[in-house]
Amino acid sequence: MAYGLFLGCLIPNRYPGVEWSTRYIMNKDHLNVPLVDIEEFSCCPVPGIFYSVDKETWLTLAARNLVVAQDEEVQLLTLCNGCYMSLHKAAETLQDSKKRSEVNKVLRGVGKRYTGEEVPGDGRVKQYRPVQVKHLVEVLANDVGIDRIEKSVTTPLTGFRVAVHYGCHYLRPSTTHTIENPNRPHLVDDIVRACGATTVEYDEKLACCGAGGGVRSHVKELADALTADKMKSIQAAGADVIVTVCPFCLLQFDTAQLTLPGINTPVVHISNMLALAMGADPLFLGFDLHNVSVNPILRKLRRRTTA
Amino acid sequence: MSGETEETFIGGQKTLVVEEKVVLDKEYDPEFVAEIVKYGGRDVKTCHQCGNCTGVCPYSLKTLYKTRNIIKMCQLGLKSLVLQTPWLCATCYRCYEHCPEDINAAEVMIALRHIAVRDGFIPDFIQRVTRNVRQYGQSVAPAREVEILRTQLELGPLSYAKPRYGKTINEVQYIMRAMGYDKLVHVLDEKPKEKAAGAAADQAAEGEVR
Repeated sequence: MAYGLFLGCLIPNRYPGVEWSTRYIMNKDHLNVPLVDIEEFSCCPVPGIFYSVDKETWLTLAARNLVVAQDEEVQLLTLCNGCYMSLHKAAETLQDSKKRSEVNKVLRGVGKRYTGEEVPGDGRVKQYRPVQVKHLVEVLANDVGIDRIEKSVTTPLTGFRVAVHYGCHYLRPSTTHTIENPNRPHLVDDIVRACGATTVEYDEKLACCGAGGGVRSHVKELADALTADKMKSIQAAGADVIVTVCPFCLLQFDTAQLTLPGINTPVVHISNMLALAMGADPLFLGFDLHNVSVNPILRKLRRRTTA
Repeated sequence: MSGETEETFIGGQKTLVVEEKVVLDKEYDPEFVAEIVKYGGRDVKTCHQCGNCTGVCPYSLKTLYKTRNIIKMCQLGLKSLVLQTPWLCATCYRCYEHCPEDINAAEVMIALRHIAVRDGFIPDFIQRVTRNVRQYGQSVAPAREVEILRTQLELGPLSYAKPRYGKTINEVQYIMRAMGYDKLVHVLDEKPKEKAAGAAADQAAEGEVR
């Protein structure tokens, strides 16, 4: 089944390099995963606001996006932990027929109806399963496979020390469909290693970046205080670069470091890192918009490739 | 004032630290536990105060608000004491992963947010993001420098600038209106239609929040 690319809000509006990188690594010269562009998607909607303020509105707006995917017959590929959790949770919640009919009452007003994706049945009764919502990491590690990523790497990032940040909503809350063990995640580390880099262990690796749940918007100093703790342990571990799998964590690491004197470790999205390893020109990765300069790792990369 | 001190911590957040406090009748809300359940939290009365949630909570380490204490105050029905706190939660769900009673403190916080908003505690950012979603269909407002870079990267225009995207924005606005969300967070039509104009007038009569 084809992947509908769900970009969300932050990536197109703040980190377009992540969008470019994702298209680059998925194109037919590299991982060859066809992506379907769908115009009709709105905000997922953002869990820190809508899920926190009114769950019914959250569910209906999320269901609207799921209907779009259902009608286009795609599974959703999300590049953001927030979008992933919001849509995934909504698809699970809509398994409840009472909730589904409540949501459909409102969706009728916009000419939409959520049933889920039709699956082949015995021919007498139509059978449905929830619209599949997948995180980029899940698609890369499980659907594409680490082997194929390894084979597609043309510029191995040998010698790079990477601090992986998983982020909360990729891992938690753990449900029956959680991607991996929330206490011992390894898929992002595996992908980074497939790029030829080494990953470093650091304290509080699985802790929040500080931004989630509306805290960044509400009390920025508190969010930054949390990021400061993580940054200290990342620096102590001697990392060259932080790799996140979520643009909101990327934003938080990238902006909070401005308030931390003497700490500046570049932060990139996993798709940026893969694009570099697959030979993309760094000019296209949108690093100009990053607050913390990515140049140190680009210089290191250039030295290595020209040597 | 004995037993109550005001403390300030990171971000200028103030809290009443309760020490040897006598709970007065007027502070006790017997319906509070049921209200939390109504908005999707578990029954907090089953919490036995082991403190696992607090040990793994990133914000409990940084602030005077401890997850366990907030759950305790919920058990005691001290609604007025907890309604300022729910926005200090990253909803990282570590508490949930470590709770032996399966309380899911993060979901309790989310239920508290529901209650707080309905009691009139609506932080500015809720309204800001809601306006963005109403206007652009997305929670983040477009930025000029990003649009220039998008052109250079040949990524195409942002959603809001696409001619057919108006339909999506209309659908999003319709859903928010139909669910009463606009009214709940006090963000109403910028260009009100007849019906919405009436609602806006009601709103003005009630007094603008912030």
